This record gives sequence, C-alpha cells and structure tokens, in this order.
Amino acid sequence: MSEIAAKAPTRPRRRLIVSRLVPYLLLQALIVVATILGLRLLQPSDPDDFAVSGFSLREDGATRPVTLPHFTSSRYSLADPPLYTGAFTFRRDEAASAWSVYLPRFSNAVEVAVNGVIVLDSRRDANANRPDRNTPQIALIPASLLRDGSNEITVRLFVWGPLKGFLDTVYVGPDTALRPAYETRTLLFVTLQVVFSAWQSILAVILAIMWLMRRREPVYGVLAVAMVLGVVQAFVPPPVPPALTPRLAAVLLASAPTESALIVMFGVLFFGWGWPRYGVLLFAPGLIIFVVGLIAGPPLPRILFLTLGIPMVGICLFLMACVTATAVVRRQDAASFTIGCAVTIVLTCWVHDMLSVFEIVTNERIFVSRLSYSAMLVAIGAGLTWRFARALNQVDSFAGQLVARVREAEERLKASFVREEERARAAALANERTRLMRDLHDGLGGQLVSIVALSERGHEGATITDAARAALKDLRLVIDSMDDIGGDLMLALGSWRERATAQLRPHDIALDWRVATPQGLPLHPELRPWHVIQIVRILDEAVTNAVKHAQARNITVIIETLDGDQGPSGVISVTDDGRGFAASGNNEVTGASQIARGLRNMRSRAARCGAVLDLNSDASGTRVRLQLPQIFPDSDAAGG
Amino acid sequence: MIMGVAGSSLRLNLLRAAGDTWCGAMNMSEQGETGEAITILLVEDDAPTCWRLQDALVKAGYEVRSAGTLAEARSALTEAVPRVLLTDLRLPDGHGVELIREIRQRFPDTEIMVISALGDEESVISAITVGATGYLLKDAFPTDIATTVRELVAGHSPISASIARFIVRRTQGAAQSGAEPSPGPVLNTAKLTPREIDILWGIAKGFSYAEIASHLGLSRQTVPGHIKNIYRKLEVHTRSEAVFEAVQQGLIKL
Repeated sequence: MSEIAAKAPTRPRRRLIVSRLVPYLLLQALIVVATILGLRLLQPSDPDDFAVSGFSLREDGATRPVTLPHFTSSRYSLADPPLYTGAFTFRRDEAASAWSVYLPRFSNAVEVAVNGVIVLDSRRDANANRPDRNTPQIALIPASLLRDGSNEITVRLFVWGPLKGFLDTVYVGPDTALRPAYETRTLLFVTLQVVFSAWQSILAVILAIMWLMRRREPVYGVLAVAMVLGVVQAFVPPPVPPALTPRLAAVLLASAPTESALIVMFGVLFFGWGWPRYGVLLFAPGLIIFVVGLIAGPPLPRILFLTLGIPMVGICLFLMACVTATAVVRRQDAASFTIGCAVTIVLTCWVHDMLSVFEIVTNERIFVSRLSYSAMLVAIGAGLTWRFARALNQVDSFAGQLVARVREAEERLKASFVREEERARAAALANERTRLMRDLHDGLGGQLVSIVALSERGHEGATITDAARAALKDLRLVIDSMDDIGGDLMLALGSWRERATAQLRPHDIALDWRVATPQGLPLHPELRPWHVIQIVRILDEAVTNAVKHAQARNITVIIETLDGDQGPSGVISVTDDGRGFAASGNNEVTGASQIARGLRNMRSRAARCGAVLDLNSDASGTRVRLQLPQIFPDSDAAGG
Repeated sequence: MIMGVAGSSLRLNLLRAAGDTWCGAMNMSEQGETGEAITILLVEDDAPTCWRLQDALVKAGYEVRSAGTLAEARSALTEAVPRVLLTDLRLPDGHGVELIREIRQRFPDTEIMVISALGDEESVISAITVGATGYLLKDAFPTDIATTVRELVAGHSPISASIARFIVRRTQGAAQSGAEPSPGPVLNTAKLTPREIDILWGIAKGFSYAEIASHLGLSRQTVPGHIKNIYRKLEVHTRSEAVFEAVQQGLIKL
C-alpha cells in the first residue's frame, strides 16, 4: 500500500518530464540540422577561374609538388617556414585592370612574393593572426612586377603550433574579379565579429550597471565579467611570434575557457539554482592556462590551450545545454527556450570546428565557434529584456492591485463610516425619545391624568383650568427646552420669565427680575436640553409653591455669577414674601404632602444637573437658592 | 461678527438695567376707549376656542366676525374688510398661511395675527414671513387677548422670548456659515440692523422693553415700533420683490 503511495506521484512526474523534454530535444535536433545546413549554405564562393592550386612545397630541405588546399605539419619555430612556389600566366594585352593576389584562408600567417618581390605580409594585420577568425587577405600586384607570360608566385607559410599549418587555394587575377569574394569573407569573418563584439561590450556595460544597482543578484555580475573577458579577447591584438609578451598571450588564451565557465555559472544562477561549491573546478583549466602562460614561455600555453582550453569550452557548452534543458523542463518559459536554442547552435558549431581541426571533415578550415557565440549573446540580451519587461509588468499589475485594494478599503471605510453615523444618529434619537418621554411623563402626563380625575369628580372648573394650564405650560417648556440655546442659560430663562409672568398675572403677584452681573450667567457649552428642563422645573416648582401654598405677594428672581476658586458659577435665587411652607404644612395635610413631594423633586433634579439646592423657609418667606455647577455633568445618572 | 459685538455691548448695558421693572407689551395697563368699532375677523375651526376668543374680544368692545374655514373667511372678506385678522394655521380646507398672504397683498392696512396653541417658532415664524405681525396664544387670559389686539392696532407688535431667540440664533447661524441650514422655516435675516438684533437679544434674554430701551439709549416707546419693523423685514414680499427684479433686469420700463 505504502509502496504504491510512494510511487504514485513519481510516475506522473516522470511522464511530465518526458512530455516536456522530448519535444525540446526534437527541437534542438532540428536546430542542429538547420545549423549544419546554414553552415553549408553560407560557405563563401571563390572565383575559381583564377585559382592557382598547383604548387611545389619546399619543406625541411625537401621539395615536392602539392595541390592546395594543403595542410602542413605543426611546428614551433618561425625559422625556415614552408615555402610554396607556383606559377600563373599573365597576358598584358588582355589585362584591362590591375591584378591582385587573394588568399581566402591560411593559418597562421603568410608572406607572398610575386617574381621575388614581397607584396603581402599578413603578420602585420592583427585580425589575420587569429586562427579562429578566418581572415582573408588580398594584395594588389604592382603592374611593373608582372611579366607577360608566366610569372612566379611564392608563399611562405608561418605556422605556430600546436595547430597544423593550412593554406587554401591562392587566387591571382584581375582585382575586379577577386575583390567581391574578399569583401564577402571580410564582412562575414571580420566586420560581423566586430559588430558582435561591440554588442558584447554594450551588454557588459548594461550588466555591470544592473549588478551595481542590484548587488543581491550576483548573476548579472558573473555575466558582466564574462562579457568583459569576451570583449578584451576580441579587441586586444594577439602577440605575434616572436613577440615578447607571453603574459598577454596567457590572458588571451585563458579567456575562452574562463568565459565559458562564467557562462555556465550564469546559467545556473539565472535559472534560480545555487552555485555548487565544486563548480569552482570549472575555472581550473582557465587558471592553469593563465598560470602556465605567466611562468612558461610559448609554445606551452598554446599547447595547453588546445588540449585543455578548447575541450573545456566544449564541456562548458555541454553543461550549459544540460542546465537549459533542465530549466526548460522545470520552467517552460521563453528565456530558457531562447538560451537553450542558442547553446545548441554554439555547441553544434564547436563540434564542427573540432571535426575541422582533426581533419575528420574536410573543408576549408573555417572556424565558426566564435561567430556562433553571437547567437548566445543575442539570446542573453533577449532573455534579459524579456525578464525586465516581465518585471515591469509585475510592477504595473502590483500597482494596479494596490490601487484597487486601496479603493476597496476606502469603500469599506466609507460604508462603515456611514453605518457608524447612522448608528450614532439612531442612538441620539433613541436617547432624545427617552428623555422626551420622561419629561412628558413627569409633567404633562401627570397633569392630564389630574385633569381626567377632576373632570370625573364633577365641576371643579377652576381646578381643571389650573391643571390644564399647567399641562400647556409644561408642554411649552418641553418644546422650548428642545431648542438650541448655544449654552446660554439666559435664553431659556427669558422664555421662563414670560411664562411665569403670565402665570402670576391672574394672581396679582409681581415678579421682580434682577440680573446682577453683566454676563447674566456664565456660558456653558456643555449645556444640554435635559439640564435646562431640570433647572426650569426647579424654578417652576418654587414659583408654584409660592403661589399655591405660601400666598406670597411678591416674588423676586435674582440671577448672579459668583467667582469661585475653579472659575465662575451661576446662582439663581427665587425669593417670596409668603408665610413659608413650614407653617403651611400645619394647616393642610394634602398641601404638606404636595410640598414634601415637590421639595424632593427639586432636590433630585438639582442633583441630576450637578447643582446645589438651598432652601430657607420661615414665616417671613421662602428662599430657594440654586447654585449651578461649573461644568454640567454629561450623563444624568449622577442623581439616580 | 456684528452680532457678537452687539450682543456683548448689550450685556454690558444690562448691568445698569438690573433694577428696572418688567413692563412687557402684554402688560399694558392703560385701558383706553374702545369707542371706534374695530372690526376683527376671527378664523378658528375649533368651536370652543373660537367662542373663548370671541367672548374675550366682544367683551372688550370689538366687532368680531368668525369663520371656521378658509372658504368662510374669504366670503366674509367680500362683505367687509376687517381691521384685524386673527387666524389659526391649520384649517379644515387649507393652511392659514394662504389666507395671511392673500390679505397682506390685497388689504395692506389690515393687521394680521396668528393664533397658536403653543406659540412655537415653527408656526409663528412661518406666519411672520408671509405678513403676520404678531401671535396670540389660544389659552391667553381674556384681558391679555384684548390688550394684545389693542396694542397691535396701535402699532405695537408682540414678540416672545422664544421667537426673538429663534431669530437671533438664525442671524448667528447666517454669520457663521451657510454650509448647513438650520431646521425650521426659512428666514432671511440679512436686512436686520445691529440695533434691531440687539433688541432681539434683550427680548430673548428676558429683559423688558424698558430695560432694553435704557441700555440701548432708546426711548421706551420706540421699542415696539422696532419690533414691527423687524417683522416687516422678515416678510418675504413675493410680488414686490418680483417687480423689483423685473425692473432690475429691464423687463419692465418705468
């Protein structure tokens, strides 16, 4: 059971790998075929009418006839180079233009003489000294040198090992016929190389900047170093034997294996894997060549290069192909596909060059590895651009998501704010309703009940009138107290004065109104309607007591402001000249209980607003003194 | 800003007035002759209230005709134009405001007073803005009813502390910001002078006309006239304002 469970996930995974790898490998095979076909098709054609291929070669003291193209053995000395001597026919009357000698391919250097006079020495051309560049050479033959009829041409081939010497067919003829072929080869093997090297240098700069800005990603630094090595190798002129700069030669020779090792490192890092510690071994061949080049003179470094460096390049290319294939299987993205295809092209060209070096495939010894490396450069550039564009898209979509999220949050906030506001409004409304109910219950309700009771008992017109008037008065008070008075209690007292005056007029009682201070009363921004209603009811109670029970003739209201320790506080006093409620209590039982209830009410109302109520009553009158608080309490729970 | 300054100057003046006695408009004690038959049209749909008011006015010597609906009131107007109109606002066949506006435009000499159960700002202010110059509480004592009407005919408009408070709060609100309109009837207080606003402040705080007059350096008799002016300024003169606009815009050539 467990075995099946363990194997189950591996099988579809293997199938997935196969399903991805097989099409990729088929594609690579197709690319290999296309590359080989391309190499065949791109083979530059030469003007065969002017070919001179029959030469006699004098080498090591022996002379033998040879047919070009011809390989000579590898040698390490420039002294006594192989000398090819041939002949061509020149007809002065047929020749309308100047004649040239054209050498499409040779290695490593040639010195050409016509009729014993040297017309060309390729050792002075830096490009021509590179065996990997296939540089052609052409030289005009001065007309004075040419003789009517047979002419002699000699080619001295300088070879520096370990590579074998090679001399392709030599062409001698009118310059107009030879030059196009020469131009084609120059374009292919010299100009294009320079263009790609320039592209490589630009890449090196871009990558270096990228690495400087993003130190966390060493992949760009690695690639930048590889590019720099490539550029140095391409642009620094190689030392020509018998040059005395072996160190420079060592650097140049070591550059190719080092560069390919760096490319492998780049591949590993680019596709998101860790660089294994033993990966350093890849750099060993380059290092060995470099060290040997520094210590030993030529030709040892060149031998090492051929036996160590070139295979290393191949190994690195193969590793790179493996890396990209793995990346393709795992990631299936455009970058891995592009780089994989480029690696296949370069690898194919490398194999082609190897076959050419070992003369397994006979051709005109045209090396294409370096040229095909440009495919890799293009792929790397495309891969980087692709990655950059994708990163930009990600940033864009991230920004878009952020905007959308912020908008969402804003909407939610708005909704919750509206909800909160509605809730607060509902709560305020509920509070207000509660307060109104209580106020109406306290006053109007009781008075209406009293009216009903009086009506039922019979005709007590005057009492019903009083009760109804009291109800109306209370209704006005409640409505009045709802109004916003902006914390100025004087505005509420103004209305109260009017109502009290109207109430007292039928009883012939005078209301003396005294405002002791300029301000009247201090302003209380925290003053709420329910505070106002309590204070006004206390004053009402005082006046009603004076009228009903004390038989007062004059009522005085004094409004003043006391300056206390913690600021000013208002004081409202209602004084009457009646006989006091203590005396009245003895006369009437119902009156006494009413007074008692009234006093209790007054005290509890005062406590609820945080005010202090003082009552003084004797036979000469009653004084109700209400001292307002400095700050009115927020909730009326204080008084209970 | 003006209101604030005016209010504070009034408060300072009030110190001197503390000892004055109350002498409100409703408390005028001089009972003059009521020989000339002053005609009153009383529009009130509640019969007991109507009787009560009519009794009080007839007893004071006025010639009173009563109507229960707008239609009855209009037919009464075709017979004779009253000197004073007393009208309730809620009527079975319409709103008293329509009647007030109509009479104000057709008979400018008629004094108009609104009858209100509670004297609340909502009803009184809406009546004032269409041309009423006072209000009468339905439960007022008979003597007060007669006095108020006589004062009105004499050119003195009654005003309550709560009405004055409503108006001055509106002037404050307009001065602070017009962003959030206060609830209640629309009121244009722009035409009121600082002095008139000072008078309103005094009334709102419960001072008598005599106290206000002495603090503002006015003659006591001029205060009621100011009140009437305030009412007139709060009135929305729909027709005359329309004519003014038309002249301004060149639609009418004078």
